[in-house]
Amino acid sequence: MAKDMVRLENVSKKFGNTYAVEQLNLDIKTGEFLTLLGPSGCGKTTTLRMIAGFEKPNEGNIWINGEKVDKVEPYNREVNTVFQSYSLFPHMTVAENVAFGLKMKKVSKQEIAKRVKEALELVQLANFADRKPKKLSGGQQQRIAIARAIVNNPQVLLLDEPLGALDLKLRKQMQLELKQLQEELGMTFIYVTHDQEEALTMSDRIVIMNQGKIEQMGLPDEIYEKPATKFVADFIGETNLFEGTVMDANPSFATMKCGGRHISIPNTGNFSKNERVYMSIRPEKIHVSAQAGEEDNLLSATLKDEIYIGSVTKIIGEFPDGQKVIAHGSRDILKSCTRGDQLYLHWEPADSVVFEMKEKMEV
Amino acid sequence: MIRNVRAAYLMLSPTLVWLLIFLVVPVGMIAVISFTTNLGFGGILYEFSTEAYRLAFSSLYAQAIWQSLWWSIVATVICGVIAYPFAYFIAHAGKWKNLLLLLVMVPFWTNLLIRLYSWIILMNNQGVINNILMKIGIIDEPITMLYTPFAVIIGLVYGFLPFMILPIYASIEQLDKTYLEAAEDLGANPVKTFLTVTLPLTFPGVLSGTIITFVPAVSVFVVTDLLTGGRLLMIGNVIRDAFLVEMNWQLGSAISLLLMILVLISIVVLMKFTSSEDDSSLL
Ligand SMILES: Nc1ncnc2c1ncn2[C@@H]1O[C@H](COP(=O)(O)OP(=O)(O)OP(=O)(O)O)[C@@H](O)[C@H]1O
Ligand SMILES: [Mg+2]
Repeated sequence: MAKDMVRLENVSKKFGNTYAVEQLNLDIKTGEFLTLLGPSGCGKTTTLRMIAGFEKPNEGNIWINGEKVDKVEPYNREVNTVFQSYSLFPHMTVAENVAFGLKMKKVSKQEIAKRVKEALELVQLANFADRKPKKLSGGQQQRIAIARAIVNNPQVLLLDEPLGALDLKLRKQMQLELKQLQEELGMTFIYVTHDQEEALTMSDRIVIMNQGKIEQMGLPDEIYEKPATKFVADFIGETNLFEGTVMDANPSFATMKCGGRHISIPNTGNFSKNERVYMSIRPEKIHVSAQAGEEDNLLSATLKDEIYIGSVTKIIGEFPDGQKVIAHGSRDILKSCTRGDQLYLHWEPADSVVFEMKEKMEV
Repeated sequence: MIRNVRAAYLMLSPTLVWLLIFLVVPVGMIAVISFTTNLGFGGILYEFSTEAYRLAFSSLYAQAIWQSLWWSIVATVICGVIAYPFAYFIAHAGKWKNLLLLLVMVPFWTNLLIRLYSWIILMNNQGVINNILMKIGIIDEPITMLYTPFAVIIGLVYGFLPFMILPIYASIEQLDKTYLEAAEDLGANPVKTFLTVTLPLTFPGVLSGTIITFVPAVSVFVVTDLLTGGRLLMIGNVIRDAFLVEMNWQLGSAISLLLMILVLISIVVLMKFTSSEDDSSLL
């Protein structure tokens, strides 16, 4: 069935003495939409460049469609790239740029004309066919770069932040079209983006990278709901991170102590008493009320600020020890409150995630 | 807006003054003198005359003009053919790059006159080249190289090759390597990448090289002086002789002006080659 289209095995790339990519293991299935997500400099572009063949890994092997490609030159790989910097040929028109790959494959003239036209229509730039790329806006150039790669109908398409320069509306539209195209043609996409929402909505699978290594790999909702490390919890979306010590580690009743508060935590059996841990709880999972209810796991905080962000209001509270907490709630709750008033917070322990503190070193 | 334009002119004024004193005035003087009447021995009568131009287009001088043009075009083309691979090699020579560039520039430290003398020794009938060729047995009789257009072209190529190499080198060096990767990514092998991307994108360098090689080559006179003993003439020789030997300032000025116009026309024609809408030209 779905076999691996691209396979990276223990791939490392060093620049000088530092690893840009370290011991990467990744299997990408045929027709999969895989997204690499991570902070700037974490090795996303380097990973794509190794798959495309522009960088040779120092260690490890890469397979494309079952073929080991360590000796295959970039121009012989069934892979096309949408470059982060577009790299459109300045001496060719938009149409010539898009036609380049097909010309190299010796596709017939009529066929080229037809496919170039289709590709330009897809990115809504059919009217710009005869212009030089330098005369176009950043977003238009970016779309030409997409058309230039996609027109070749490659088995694997590498996209390095292909929508980064587009405004929100156009980006949403292009996201839909790219996704649709990818599904229709059964192309394998390896997609790099900084936009988390883009990653969460488009991808079949997301790989979170940090400092050249994979932090977590999984389905979008897994990544969001069940971050595997503190880094992922912090990096994806907004979250509250509390540092504390495990007090009870019973299967039915686990708690941690954090700045004088006792907080219930889900017991996954991974923690022992007195262990230092981090706990993460998403703002939208926290229930806020002005009166103390009956719930377990009820905490009190003072209202510091409220920020209207559209559908919900962002409530910023402060625990007695000064620790800030962010929750999403409706405005009504705060009708009777002013800054400095007491708020009551609670959440289901199962909605929080706890991590061991192996990452002590880095703050 | 108007104030900005004024400010711009004000800031440009030193340049404008410089151009006025060292370019417009002398050229204007030459232009004026070329239309005056010759009194002989460098005398100038300020009376309108086109005699100098009639003379300039007469057979002897016209021939020198055409010869100069022809030889410098041939030499420029040869320079281009040699310089491109040379520059390409230097640009890809890694840590040797700077040393190689230095070697290209070393000849500039010695006067062309002196360097051309060495070619006399090489190309003489009893010279190094003839001797070697006869020793190996490729030829029986020495080949006459000096005093021929061949020698002139060798001299021109030798003298101006660095002018061609440097701008081509610069354009290859500055070429954004990501274009090459994009071409490779789209399936172009190294040869195709070179022909479809590298060459067109470095063409502005070839063009500037062509201009700064051709312009001095067409007007140089030491090459013909030394390598043909003055038997063959280029425009430079004619102009110098008109001023210094025949003392005919009108003729010298007229030919100088014609040369200038010729060079301007060539530059404009060459520029037309690249600068349609693309503005990556190095000029
Ligand atoms: N050619 C190179 N020479 C030296 N170091 C490099 C080179 N290319 C990348 N690096 C380094 O490798 C690391 C990873 O770079 P990479 O471009 O893969 O990051 P990235 O995840 O794509 O970042 P961004 O999101 O900013 O594009 C960085 O620390 C970078 O400085
Ligand atoms: Mg990058």
